[in-house]
Amino acid sequence: MNENDKPAELEFVVEEPTEEPAEEPVGKPKKKAKKKARASFPKLLTVSPSPHLKSTETTRSVMIEVMIALTPALIWGIYVFGLRALTITVISVGCCIGFEALTQLILKRRITVSDMSAALTGMLIAMNMPVSVPLWIPVVASAFAIIVVKQLFGGIGKNIVNPAMAARVFVMICWAGQMTKNTAPGARFPLFGSVQGGVDAVTAATPLASLKQGVLPRTGLLDLLSGNIGGCIGEVSSALLILGGIYLLIRKIISWRIPVAFIGTVAVLTFIFPQAGERLDFMLYEILSGGLMLGAIYMATDYATSPISPTGRIVFGVGCGAITVLIRYFGGYPEGVSFAILIMNLLVWYIDNAFMPRRFGSELAKKREREKEEKKA
Amino acid sequence: MYTFKGGTHINEYKLTKDYALEEIEAPDRVAISMSQHIGAPCAPCVEAGDEVLVGQIIGKVDDGALGCPVHASVSGKVIGTDVICGSSGNRETCVVIENDFKGTVSPEIAPPEDKITEMTKDEIASVIRSAGITGMGGASFPAYAKINSAAGNVDRVIVNCAECEPFITADHRLLLEHPEKVVGGLKTIMIALGVKQAFIAVEDNKKDAARVLSDKVADSDMITVCLMKTKYPQGDERQLIYALTGTELPMGMLPMDAGCVIFNAGTCAAIYDAFATGMPVVKRIVTVTGDCVDRPGNYVIPIGMKVSDVVEKCGGLIKEPVKAVFGGPMMGKAEFSLDTPVKKGTSAILLLSKSFDTKPVPEPECIRCGKCVSNCPMKLMPAYIAQYSRLGNMEMAEKFGAMSCVECGTCSYNCPAKIEIVQYIRSAKNNIKAEQRRLAALRAEKKDS
Repeated sequence: MNENDKPAELEFVVEEPTEEPAEEPVGKPKKKAKKKARASFPKLLTVSPSPHLKSTETTRSVMIEVMIALTPALIWGIYVFGLRALTITVISVGCCIGFEALTQLILKRRITVSDMSAALTGMLIAMNMPVSVPLWIPVVASAFAIIVVKQLFGGIGKNIVNPAMAARVFVMICWAGQMTKNTAPGARFPLFGSVQGGVDAVTAATPLASLKQGVLPRTGLLDLLSGNIGGCIGEVSSALLILGGIYLLIRKIISWRIPVAFIGTVAVLTFIFPQAGERLDFMLYEILSGGLMLGAIYMATDYATSPISPTGRIVFGVGCGAITVLIRYFGGYPEGVSFAILIMNLLVWYIDNAFMPRRFGSELAKKREREKEEKKA
Repeated sequence: MYTFKGGTHINEYKLTKDYALEEIEAPDRVAISMSQHIGAPCAPCVEAGDEVLVGQIIGKVDDGALGCPVHASVSGKVIGTDVICGSSGNRETCVVIENDFKGTVSPEIAPPEDKITEMTKDEIASVIRSAGITGMGGASFPAYAKINSAAGNVDRVIVNCAECEPFITADHRLLLEHPEKVVGGLKTIMIALGVKQAFIAVEDNKKDAARVLSDKVADSDMITVCLMKTKYPQGDERQLIYALTGTELPMGMLPMDAGCVIFNAGTCAAIYDAFATGMPVVKRIVTVTGDCVDRPGNYVIPIGMKVSDVVEKCGGLIKEPVKAVFGGPMMGKAEFSLDTPVKKGTSAILLLSKSFDTKPVPEPECIRCGKCVSNCPMKLMPAYIAQYSRLGNMEMAEKFGAMSCVECGTCSYNCPAKIEIVQYIRSAKNNIKAEQRRLAALRAEKKDS
């Protein structure tokens, strides 16, 4: 470029420096007359890497937010199934905290129960139990979740599958009879002790079971939404679970990607391949029954066992949804959410690797590389 | 409104935005560091006992080398040189001058005789160099070198007035009170580079400054004032270029590759001063803030003034600080001593008390929330880089993008587990660079034999 070729319009005007602006009206507010406490100069100051500001969010606050989001659905469960549901919750939360502290004590790790992650696991375990379950089952489930799945794999963030989900599957396979007694709403059981009475008196066919048989259940869709149905303590009220999910989205605890991809995939697949009745009806029954809402919003989004790459999260959700539908259609169980999440949990590392976010400026970097190679050639 | 993807809105803490600039009287003694810019430090060219005047050169750099001279900020007697130690273990030579409080300006200080429009690029660059102007935003890259390398390669000048770091309001006050300096400096740069398009990027938490600037540039259709969304790190050069031009500039490429050159508002004002009065950089605007200073504000501080002297002039301390940060809280450096002098790149002095001191968490464990990934402006996976860096697996750290990190600190800020993610990434970067150097040396050796 010719240096003398200067834009003619550009004029450089040297303006007279303005007067000292120290006494501007916007200046410092007048010093307060009241005496302030003085501090002395410290000899040495803290040196730490930047940033020197941190957000107020902590692991503990995140866990508490999730528990807050779960509370309405849990309260509904207690209302529908009676106070025994509360007993089960207290037992599993207490056991999870206790087992975590105990394991960490034995393994000589720092005790981290105050981060509330064990309490959250306990809450989720309780919500995945039918209310008629013998009270020792939540204890076993808590032990399995915390000791085997979480602590033996290295503690918070290191477990490869969701502890609550794994515990549910574990006790469901081991004690299938007790775990699949689905209590009808309004049943009242003793707070403690074992549940007496014939099986028929307390169980109600879940909507999923009848869907599996190829007939639309008699339960109305509105009952499904509000949770006036049989099932596990925390999974019955889809509406309250969705409400909690919206709260988590607003508080930016979870991203929309996994739940939307998960539920969306189930919706699309069941809409395209209905097994009974009208397409739309069948689809709505499929997404509102069973543990789909609880699984998609609270279990699949578990931080430690879901991908951190945004695209990976969508892939993860779609995978969960597809496996759920496959198991519901072709598997031996009426419900497939738990297995779907556990299977996808194992693939998280590969998903994160395969779906890394597109790096900022990668196009230009690639272009530059191509140009370099062309020059060489 | 211009913006980029990712990043976080951080509590702004712009406590001092209504406090007008205030000149601070020079202290008894100043310690002027010879390492005011990146590159080799200057060699002191005065000796103990010498009398110096304001604006007189006290540190010289070779003509061919990257760097610019350092000038005396007070008049008085040179006491000698001193070595100060920074918090990163850096040792810097300082020239210590005792102030005679006369403020006699060196007779050499005079504006250039020629009109700017008649000067060549090289002449303009040499004026800027001899005025000792370095990047005032904090990176301290000599401004003349930027002009030299940009000449002929760029078609846009961007003035970075985003000031996206919390707390700092130095540029904000400069724009409000001396917009003519910023615009004048920008015009000088445009003349030097022969560029006909310029953007002044201002975050929308400084709408008043943007209005003042718009009035100043109303007569020129080449300069546009652009309002940017208030979000950290809006002032990062890559995000700035992306927001304004849509070009994603990868790490390893310079703004020049996108046809842009970026100058900080303070740098523009310093360039204006160099041409208007001939005065080199002997003082700068510093935001003195935090919750420990009695009278926080935006002060014009002579280069080389110790923080303890500055604090004394600002009414002293009302709380005991635990940290003294030079620069903004997100990328600034914590110094261990209040005796550290102000340098040309010091945009803010942040004195933070215990309430801001986030206690380090012992053995923090990543809970894989993914907030570092979704907020990363460079679209990396900081959690994985940090994990691999911790494990010493640099190959994988590099795979997840360690070398593309701009170290803005958004990941560490957002981390609920309070892991010092960006520090792990810094260490990975250093290790990878060391490994690359080692391999290069091996290759060179093989070639020789």
